[in-house]
Amino acid sequence: MTGILTASSVGKSYGTGTARMAIIDGLELSIAKGEFVSLVGPSGCGKTTLLMCLSGLLTPSVGEVRFKGQTVSAPPIGLSVVFQDYSRSLLPWKTNLDNVLFGMRRLSMAAADKKARAAEIIAAVGLSGFENHHPWQVSGGMQQRVAIARGIASQSELLLLDEPLAAVDAQTRADMQDLLLDLAKRFNQTCVLVTHDVEEAVYMADRVLVLGPRPTRVVREIVVDLPKPRDQIATREAPAFLHARHEVMALIRGMRAGQNLS
Amino acid sequence: MKRETRIALLGLLVPLAIVVLWQIAALMQKTPLFPGPGKVVLAIWANYPVILRELGITLLRAAMGFAIAAITMIPLGIFLGRIRLIGRVLEPLMDMLATLPPPAIIPLVMLFAGTGDWAKIVIIAYAAAVPLLMNTYEASHTIHPMLSKVARSLHLSRLETMRLIDWPSSLPMIATGARLAIASSLLVSVTSEMLLSTNGIGTYLQRSQENFRIDAGLAGIAFISLAGVLINAGVFRLEKRWLFWHYRDQRQSE
Amino acid sequence: MTIARYAEKLRVPICIVLVMGSWQLIYVLGMVPAKYFPSIFAIAVAFWQMLTDGAVISAWATTFLRALIGLVGAALLGIALAIISDLSPVMARGIRYVSDVLQPIPPAAFVPMAVFMLGLGPKLYAFVIILVTVWPPYLNGVSGLASVGAVQLNTGRMFGLTNWGLLWRVKLPAAMPEVFAGIRYAATISLIAVIVSEMLAGRDGIGFMIFKKAFALRTAEVFGLMFLVGFNGVLLNGLVNLLRRGVTGWHIRMMERHE
Repeated sequence: MTGILTASSVGKSYGTGTARMAIIDGLELSIAKGEFVSLVGPSGCGKTTLLMCLSGLLTPSVGEVRFKGQTVSAPPIGLSVVFQDYSRSLLPWKTNLDNVLFGMRRLSMAAADKKARAAEIIAAVGLSGFENHHPWQVSGGMQQRVAIARGIASQSELLLLDEPLAAVDAQTRADMQDLLLDLAKRFNQTCVLVTHDVEEAVYMADRVLVLGPRPTRVVREIVVDLPKPRDQIATREAPAFLHARHEVMALIRGMRAGQNLS
Repeated sequence: MKRETRIALLGLLVPLAIVVLWQIAALMQKTPLFPGPGKVVLAIWANYPVILRELGITLLRAAMGFAIAAITMIPLGIFLGRIRLIGRVLEPLMDMLATLPPPAIIPLVMLFAGTGDWAKIVIIAYAAAVPLLMNTYEASHTIHPMLSKVARSLHLSRLETMRLIDWPSSLPMIATGARLAIASSLLVSVTSEMLLSTNGIGTYLQRSQENFRIDAGLAGIAFISLAGVLINAGVFRLEKRWLFWHYRDQRQSE
Repeated sequence: MTIARYAEKLRVPICIVLVMGSWQLIYVLGMVPAKYFPSIFAIAVAFWQMLTDGAVISAWATTFLRALIGLVGAALLGIALAIISDLSPVMARGIRYVSDVLQPIPPAAFVPMAVFMLGLGPKLYAFVIILVTVWPPYLNGVSGLASVGAVQLNTGRMFGLTNWGLLWRVKLPAAMPEVFAGIRYAATISLIAVIVSEMLAGRDGIGFMIFKKAFALRTAEVFGLMFLVGFNGVLLNGLVNLLRRGVTGWHIRMMERHE
């Protein structure tokens, strides 16, 4: 099966000779259209570097990444990243609406249509009424929603989410998880979520890919067999959820113990 | 490291290109009133003892003016910052003095004090005083409230607080003020010598012009620049040594 | 406590009264000969007479325009140099060498030599002012452009900005607040450079006029002219702040919010 996003024998390293540091080595993955896939791994395994390579912001040292069959060498149209550091990824001199419009700058649409579309997506993330605020005038959770809206507005089919909820408080986090799942369905987004949080990874995903320690690659695939839509209470108590969570956590703890010994 | 040295060397091409263009322009003009870099180098060789002596006089006066300003204005700034009421009331006066370009007071001081050494030192001291006072005041009245609480919990007297808390924690901003004040004293020192001519590098420049020795004048400017570069480098080293804690702090908070 | 609060509210008038009061006291007590230390009343009268006589107004306008034009030129050149430095590390180093050498030279030093090469006209003023004023916008521009966050740059690239687009749409707007801090400082320097050049070139402008009046022992008028010079500074600063609010108003409001 060829997915919307594939990576074949991707490697990334910095430096040369004895100073060479390999971050990624021999990584393979394939994401099917419409899937929600989580990537988890031990701390410092190179998740963010991997995401940069998948998005075309970094070029892999070896191997190739393909998006819709085309080799990725620069960020392609239809793919967008929601950065972990969302408050810095929003341009502070633009209003929230203008930030969303900034994501649509490559689209060939009439300005009025762009505005209408942007307003629709802003409403979908629950920010109507804050279009003319600047990002620094709204809360952290709202800033994150602006960043997500901007990603979707860029006519994206694939969202790469780099620990998007790492910096929001626990309650907001649960709400945002459900919002993201809802948005993914509503706007037909394929999603790749990079996260530290094993519960979140399992809760959100159809499939969890577990990454090994550095130099990283995919070491295990776990299919999450849970019905959608997910529910914050029922899903988290389902045996399949607990089973998947157990498996991922055991794997990662095993790796960390191995790291500590070596 | 290797890339760094290559950039440093290639970068030298920029000033070199300017010098070459200047030389070509000078050769085309063929007048002693537009000397090229070659002539200036010859003039440096011929005149450096005079230039160094005059520059020494200038720097000495600048240093005296600066010292007077530093000794009086830094304690005054801390005092005004601590005794909030007086500081706030005098703020408009400080703002007003800050908008006045220091060289504008040269004619006035000339009226009062004539054109001698002390007149110039007064002018320099005034020019250095404004940035020193403004920065010290600003630093001392924006000290973190936490530090004031520490001072109170240690039962420090007002004078002790100023000496042990306010002065060190204001140092980074005082250093900024001092850098501005050094530039300002040098500027006013040279300017006052050109206007109230007696001796010093400013007078030397003025005389060079009157004798149509532009090359000698440019040689003098080269030495002013050299002195400025050395002073800046010295100040930078002192700051690194005394304010390492400030720089380290800043790096961590990034 | 209540006295302190009143003093806080009325600090501007209190300050003015204090300054004028001590001034007048020195005058009345005759601590300094009146020839050198006129009463406030005498200064006000002299100032008013100068205003009604057209010469001062035109000198004021000349000086102000020189400072303004020099500042605009220096700011644009400084930003251009900063952009060049951002594009090429070699040029960055080269321009830094030139700035290190030229920056410590006071404007006064340039004037006598430049007079022969450029005459007493606008070329002289443009040369001297820009040569000493260009550095703060340039230095702040370089550091502003260099400190634009990696996340912002990646965001721009993700939405398809080329290197030029990144510079124009992300880096420059992000660096503008720092550039304007440099321009504010440059405004002060440009006024100093104009006054000094006018004093030395000795032909026109407020700088020259102050000297002429001082030699004629017209002390009251010298004080009046100094007031006018200070006013120039306030005006120039006001213009820069107006522009700054227009260009980087978002940043000012953001900083106010974070306080």
